[in-house]
Amino acid sequence: MTQTTAPARPQSDRIRSDQEPAPSPRRAGPLGPQRVRRLGLHLASVAALLVVWWLVTRAGLVRPLYLPSPGAVWDAFVRANSDHPIAPGSDRIVRGEQNYYLWEHLVASLQRIAIGVGAAVAVGIPLGLLMGTTWLGTLLEPYLSFLRSLPPLAYIGLLIVWFGIGDTSKIWLLFLAAFPPIAMSTISGVRGVREDQVNAVLSLGASRRQTLTAVVLPATLPEILTGIRVATGFAWTTVVAAEIANGIPGIGGLAYLAGEQLQSALVIACIVVIGLAAILLDLGLKSLEKVLVPWRGKA
Amino acid sequence: MTAPSGARLENTPVKSRPTSTAAALAAAALSLSLTGCVETGRSSTAAAPDTDCPWRADESVTAEARIAWQAVPNGDAVVKDLGLLEACMPNADISWVQASSGGDVVKYYGSDEVDLGLMGSAPATIASSEPVVQDVDLSVVWIHDVIGDAESLVVKDPTITDISGLKGKTVAVPFSSTAHYSLLQALADAGLDATQDVEVINLEPEKMPGAWQGDQIDAAWVWDPVQSQLLEDGGERILSSADTAEAGRPTFDVGTASQEFAADNPEFMTQWTKAQDYAVRMIKDDPAAAAESVAVVLGIDPADAEKQFGGLTFLTAEEQAGPDYLGGQLTEDLFTTAGFLLDQGEIEAVGTQSDYAAHVDPGPARAAADG
Repeated sequence: MTQTTAPARPQSDRIRSDQEPAPSPRRAGPLGPQRVRRLGLHLASVAALLVVWWLVTRAGLVRPLYLPSPGAVWDAFVRANSDHPIAPGSDRIVRGEQNYYLWEHLVASLQRIAIGVGAAVAVGIPLGLLMGTTWLGTLLEPYLSFLRSLPPLAYIGLLIVWFGIGDTSKIWLLFLAAFPPIAMSTISGVRGVREDQVNAVLSLGASRRQTLTAVVLPATLPEILTGIRVATGFAWTTVVAAEIANGIPGIGGLAYLAGEQLQSALVIACIVVIGLAAILLDLGLKSLEKVLVPWRGKA
Repeated sequence: MTAPSGARLENTPVKSRPTSTAAALAAAALSLSLTGCVETGRSSTAAAPDTDCPWRADESVTAEARIAWQAVPNGDAVVKDLGLLEACMPNADISWVQASSGGDVVKYYGSDEVDLGLMGSAPATIASSEPVVQDVDLSVVWIHDVIGDAESLVVKDPTITDISGLKGKTVAVPFSSTAHYSLLQALADAGLDATQDVEVINLEPEKMPGAWQGDQIDAAWVWDPVQSQLLEDGGERILSSADTAEAGRPTFDVGTASQEFAADNPEFMTQWTKAQDYAVRMIKDDPAAAAESVAVVLGIDPADAEKQFGGLTFLTAEEQAGPDYLGGQLTEDLFTTAGFLLDQGEIEAVGTQSDYAAHVDPGPARAAADG
């Protein structure tokens, strides 16, 4: 698609070639043959996995407690997203699981991640820029490394004492987990900026601030975005564990409670949802990367 | 001094400024769109039948109460599901906090996060002994249940028929729990040394079926649903907490309250105890209805919930207030438990009997029994 429409774009050749130097078949549009083949491969592998899973459970090789059938997991998923009677024939209707639908549990966890990672972005990038360009880097780097090496779950107990068992302690935990990777990647991005580029604008009379916004930031942005992706992945693993304590609503809290009651089908449904949500979030960030830093790898 | 902008734009990525702003905007929009969708602490079950207070509601109570609950099949779950506290104290501000163990509840007390909470008698003893007693000022005000067959020792090898046969075997139990206490008492009573003759390992209940299947454990002292699962897998019950209770070492799930909160809000405590008493009577008189409520809170099948009632003994306010429980004997039980916990290194010192008496308060149960 891009190949056929691109030449028709009313843009000068210079700019166009800036963005896409040589549209190779590999970078073809969303419906390029390579894309279709790759998508087909993914779908086939998922289908094969489902068939093997179904066969194994169908043949009774594994007991449902250890591996429930795909159908049972689907049923648990549907049940968790609907109002349903507490037992067949009962007139007591309950909402989803633990009084929230599964998607609400997911959104609750996503909210915590968004706030935690959002705060980490807001603090991590400026701090990283400062640390990468000034003496603050020398002063603060050991602390950052210290914080980065701590497993967040080791200090959740302390955060609970400080900030309570509500969302505040969980968001602090996510912030503390997400902020070091972002700050670190910003620092390494800043330090990786080519000196001759900086000198070039300086010799053209750019101010320090202009150097920062026109050269340093754009050159650092790819690394920052990678840092945000790493931080988001880290936040996912952390939020699920953080929700063991008072984590309803929250998909990690639900998975924990279901596990405690040996409801393997619901646990697997939660795990699949967590995994898919994490992949989608990462894909979103990846495409954000493409939009925001098209110059990546071409500097 | 400003840079000659034309020259600068020639050689540097022009789009830098707008895109970094766009990045910030996108991040802000993302976090904004996600906040405020799902509120936490949706307190009573949405689809629950509207409960009226079974007695005259007390509108004068305006306390703010934070209650720690656990997934245990007893009256507390019934009270939570039916919204009895909310119905009987319409002007009180009640929030429910989920805890995964009694140890957690003690921790929440320590950081002043809860005013009331459910825990086993072992954590309650820990909270009443050095060093935790320095930070936590709770008292036991209710006995949710006396643990009977709800917690039992299930063995895998059918040739083992009593506990002495476990010599040299591996036994799994969640440490610091009432089951742990019962197991060690039973071992001691059988003349076995828990540190030498058997290997006692710490394992969360939900991890036991896997270890059982893989032959990594020979026995487990555990509660439902894992207990039923192990019995279904061919395990044999050779002892239960009913036996250790008979041997003079009962275990309980108790209701606790912060002493300060209980002193400041006696009316709240009376209403709370009345609600618990109501739930106990419901479990005794109409177990099917009570099981439905428990099933909603625990997320299990009502039939399983009703079955689990069988392993617990429930006591009305009148029975509890008497000398066999809150009115006397419970102090003794906490004291005995403390002696055991000291051996286990869970506490630093055993207080005097009167120290433990100070952490048992039969007042609210008496008030509920009278009123």
